[in-house]
Amino acid sequence: MATQDAVRHGVRALGAEPELGRQRGLWTDAWRRLIRNRLAITAIVVLALVVLVAFVGAYVGPLARYAPNDQNYDAIQSGPSTQHWFGTDQLGRDLFARVLEGLRISLQIGIGAAAVVLILGVSVGAAAAMGGKWSDNLLMRFADIMISLPEILAIILLRSVLVGHDWPIVTNKKMIIILAIGGVAWITVARLVRGQMLSLAERDFVLAARALGASRWRIVYTHMLPNTLGPVIVAITFAIPGAIFAEAALGFLGLGLPPPAASLGTLVSSGYTVIQRNVWNVVFPASAIAALMLCFTFLGDGLRDALDPRSR
Amino acid sequence: MITYTIRRILWVVPVLWAVATITFLLMHAVPGGPFTEDKSKPESVIQAQERRYHFNDSLYQQYGYYLRNIVQGDLGISTRGDHQVTEIIRRTWFVTFQLGLLAFLVAASVGLVLGTLSALNHNGPLDYLGVGFATLFASVPSFILGAFLAVLFAVNIQIFKLSGWGGPLQPADIFSSAAYDWRKVVLPVVALAALSAAYIARVTRASVLEVMNTDYIRTARAKGLRERSVVLRHTIKNALIPVLTVMGPLFAILVTGSFIIETMFSIPGLGRETINAVTARDYNVIMGTTLVFALVVTLANLTVDLAYAVVDPRIRYS
Amino acid sequence: MHVRNRWFLLCAGLMSAVLVTAAACGGGTSSKDKTATAGAGGGGKTATTGTADMAPADQQKVVLQLGEPEFYDPHRSNFEQDIGVERMLFRGLWNLTDDGNGGVKVVDAMAAGDPQISGNVYTIKIKSGLKWSDGKPITAGDFVYGIQRECDADVASPYQYVLGAGIGELKGCDELFNNKDAAQKEALTAALGVAAPDDQTLVVTLNKPVATFKTVWSLWATFPSRKDVITQFGDKWTDPANIVVNGPFTVSELVAKDHVTLKPNPNWSGQKPALQEIRIKFIDDLSAAFKQFQTNELDETEILATDTTVARADSALKNNVLIVPSARITTIEVQMDDPILGANGLDAAAKEKAFKLRLALARAIDRKALVKVVYDDVHAPATYWVVKGLKGFQGNEAFDKAIGYDPVAAKQALKDAGYENGAGLPSFKVTYRDNQQRRNEFDFLSKAWKDTLGINVTSEFVDSKTRSATFNSEKFQLFQGGWQLDYPDIENPLVGLFNTGGGNNHYNCSDPDIDAAFKEAASATTDDARIKAYQKVETGVVTKLCGTIPMFQDAKPYLLSTKLGGVVPNGTVDAGQPGNYCPECWYVKKS
Repeated sequence: MATQDAVRHGVRALGAEPELGRQRGLWTDAWRRLIRNRLAITAIVVLALVVLVAFVGAYVGPLARYAPNDQNYDAIQSGPSTQHWFGTDQLGRDLFARVLEGLRISLQIGIGAAAVVLILGVSVGAAAAMGGKWSDNLLMRFADIMISLPEILAIILLRSVLVGHDWPIVTNKKMIIILAIGGVAWITVARLVRGQMLSLAERDFVLAARALGASRWRIVYTHMLPNTLGPVIVAITFAIPGAIFAEAALGFLGLGLPPPAASLGTLVSSGYTVIQRNVWNVVFPASAIAALMLCFTFLGDGLRDALDPRSR
Repeated sequence: MITYTIRRILWVVPVLWAVATITFLLMHAVPGGPFTEDKSKPESVIQAQERRYHFNDSLYQQYGYYLRNIVQGDLGISTRGDHQVTEIIRRTWFVTFQLGLLAFLVAASVGLVLGTLSALNHNGPLDYLGVGFATLFASVPSFILGAFLAVLFAVNIQIFKLSGWGGPLQPADIFSSAAYDWRKVVLPVVALAALSAAYIARVTRASVLEVMNTDYIRTARAKGLRERSVVLRHTIKNALIPVLTVMGPLFAILVTGSFIIETMFSIPGLGRETINAVTARDYNVIMGTTLVFALVVTLANLTVDLAYAVVDPRIRYS
Repeated sequence: MHVRNRWFLLCAGLMSAVLVTAAACGGGTSSKDKTATAGAGGGGKTATTGTADMAPADQQKVVLQLGEPEFYDPHRSNFEQDIGVERMLFRGLWNLTDDGNGGVKVVDAMAAGDPQISGNVYTIKIKSGLKWSDGKPITAGDFVYGIQRECDADVASPYQYVLGAGIGELKGCDELFNNKDAAQKEALTAALGVAAPDDQTLVVTLNKPVATFKTVWSLWATFPSRKDVITQFGDKWTDPANIVVNGPFTVSELVAKDHVTLKPNPNWSGQKPALQEIRIKFIDDLSAAFKQFQTNELDETEILATDTTVARADSALKNNVLIVPSARITTIEVQMDDPILGANGLDAAAKEKAFKLRLALARAIDRKALVKVVYDDVHAPATYWVVKGLKGFQGNEAFDKAIGYDPVAAKQALKDAGYENGAGLPSFKVTYRDNQQRRNEFDFLSKAWKDTLGINVTSEFVDSKTRSATFNSEKFQLFQGGWQLDYPDIENPLVGLFNTGGGNNHYNCSDPDIDAAFKEAASATTDDARIKAYQKVETGVVTKLCGTIPMFQDAKPYLLSTKLGGVVPNGTVDAGQPGNYCPECWYVKKS
């Protein structure tokens, strides 16, 4: 615009600064840094591909040859072949289709748990930081109690309590697992957010906002939260594979989803009992878990590097 | 600082009490009790058995009875064999602690070394190898790794053994050489340590990288200090802080036992015992093991928080 | 470029390494031929411990797998593993042995021959010269004390009912056990129907004569106990330092949660054991136990059904596989109070509809395929309820026509019930114990019912105690259950399970014909008439599917090292760890 041009001309005329480029916001900066990180980009692409195939492609064409629950008693425990790319399991079900379903379910659970972690963690952490000494103390001690309870025990007990009741939402099996996993993982994020906000509260720009008369709510919402988002985003990105892992462990212990649904965890757990008979039953689901973990890890690393203004 | 420490230590008791109460309530809310079976024993039998363990008192009475006993150090008896819960915990934790400690040492040393080397060789081949190893082993659940290791290195290539723990099972056996069998130790320790090692490696690498880019390191280099001096005296010490934060909870987790690894290798440890007690509804053992776990975790976190303050002079607690 | 490829290579390299070595089967040396399917053949106690065959004494050690016993005191034991170990440590008046036909026969242990019967009074002579492991003689008084403990409510034996009404019929036992008044205890104990007029004579008084007397008195509930030892040590009397036994082996070392070691009892008067050491490792994870057998850390172990296929395909292992049929039928139990499935309390037409529905469900299950696909042919398909080896066994021939696999008949039955192709039916819930095999079983059944009948089922997988609690509270529609025989008599799987109001009748089977047959059995004067009446009960239960849909008879797969000789699996009707009737018969062969 005119004013800007004038400024530019004027500045150049002074022979001082070189050409000013387009204005870039902090987020755009971060995005650019992320894109330049080849590992992260690969991870994003692979993840997108996986999501695409698992949620859409699985119903299309050659990928939809078998439904995950099609049993075929003539092809029990077979290895990979042209008929069954990943082989079959004890009931003759196509492992490739099962792994795709497993990816679907595990991703749902992972993202669900991450959502729980995000909501609970940010709100409780912010509340703790902003609510004064007492609420901070209370919430942190509550967090202490939650992590002191052995996780597996809590989950087993919770599940057994909820079984048999027909309460809405909470008794949907997937929800139980999401709540169980998220219900423990949110604490780290809450601590993180609390720590961040406590240190931000002393920073100049916050003091300035307060001096200008901004309300507490506005300070938190407009000034502080956006600045905590960086570490929080990274934490959430790592929470997703963490949840997938936890779900695999639960599935292994027999606390996962009931059949015929198969998450990656239940697939791995059933594969464990036949590991010497048909090792592919373990290899493929475990590789799927590993692949998801790797992708989310690289993505998380990339996000952390991109969002941390001090790196490189 | 002193007041903070004392306050944190005092908070341990209410936290433990809260954990105990939650566990107690949850435990009794779960269907089935220690004597529930498909085959209904006659009512008289069940009542006689419950009377032995005070399980037919009202919940309120049982709770009071239990708290009173804890204060005196009596954690009750197990319904599976009438053993003292304190005795069970002592024996099983003796084994689990060995396993956990070994796994922790392995994980810490491998992780720290790998992470530092990776960072120092940033973007070089060692870095990629290190990152690759770290992320790979952080992506494989410990039970998968354990199963593969067992089949590969014990069944197919008969190097290691699978049955039980290769160390003393009771304190009395510490000096008896028959109690040690290194071939039983390797696989469970590796399976348990792999994930933690990978995690520590990643955190160390990130931390060292971050420190390496700081002004004071650049200053040290600019001053002309030798690379080794820069690394050893300045970088590592400062990089250790975030790593410590991570190692505290990791230690707690390792030392309280992994049900999966202990079941897979038939190790008579605390992790396996905890889950078996839940499955069998052995109320006293459940309470005992939960309290132990809570105590260890709380103390580990407390230690880390305090160590943090000691190591990093910038941190001050009000 | 670089990282991604390197990672991939690393990944692939790792995987290939795993696969290559996993494919290259390692293995030990192939051993002598030994295919033993138990229940048939073998026959009786093998007294042949031919010295030509036996390895020297320092090699006579075996390592076995078992779940951990809770108690080593026969009067407190509840579980199979407890009882199995106690059989090695203690003996009662008589002992059981395999009869070569799936059944058991009774042989003398401490008793010197059959009891003298006069009305309700049974007099037994105890062999002279028998000693406990500490050298003291075994007397009738020890048996009296054992019974006093068994009927004592403070000891709280889970199997006291074996001596009570309907089974052991021991005078005064139920009264003592149900007594809540401490003041009465001494008098009631004195009034028990056991007495020892002298050290070698035991006089047992029953409420009425019992045909199964010798069988009952071979059970662990009647084992003798040493009053002085128990009084001195209390609950710690089973500690290795204190325990006193009268069987072939005694406890030399016990490490809780890990293992127990047995060594021969020097004062055992029966056949001298060849084994110098039996180490029993407590392992619950059968997958892990299988691997430990392959690394030669175990000489005998139970394994998962799916591992039998692996073992059979392995040249080094295939001679070690031993399938031992158990005295257990696995069924799908149906809640008869359910308005659609059972129609208890509704009119005759509704009951008929419900019966046809159950019939459809039963006839749609291909039991042979189920056993083959899910359990690798370890179990045996069954449409019967009373297991082979029991007197009165009827078997598949009797019931296959009525409820056996026939998809056409199943569809027809469903149509007759008015639910053609599943129309109008809600989905049913099946309650299962959570483990991998049951999951596969559920998937199999739900597909069978969906494909053949159009009926949907959902599952509820819970842990063992929750499942038991659900069963006992009767809040289920379909329930995966069964019955494990407690003692080898036809009445055990029937009485209390299918009579109206029976203590174990949680599926509420209530049928006048079946109840009439029970009455007939109770009032039968001869054993044959009694058994015929119980056969009528079984026929009624199975053909009317009164609360139960039989699927298969269980068997347990074991791996037994070929270096072990003299192991004769117990009769089906009392199967446990193979050969625990006669551990003194085992020996390690010369290699």
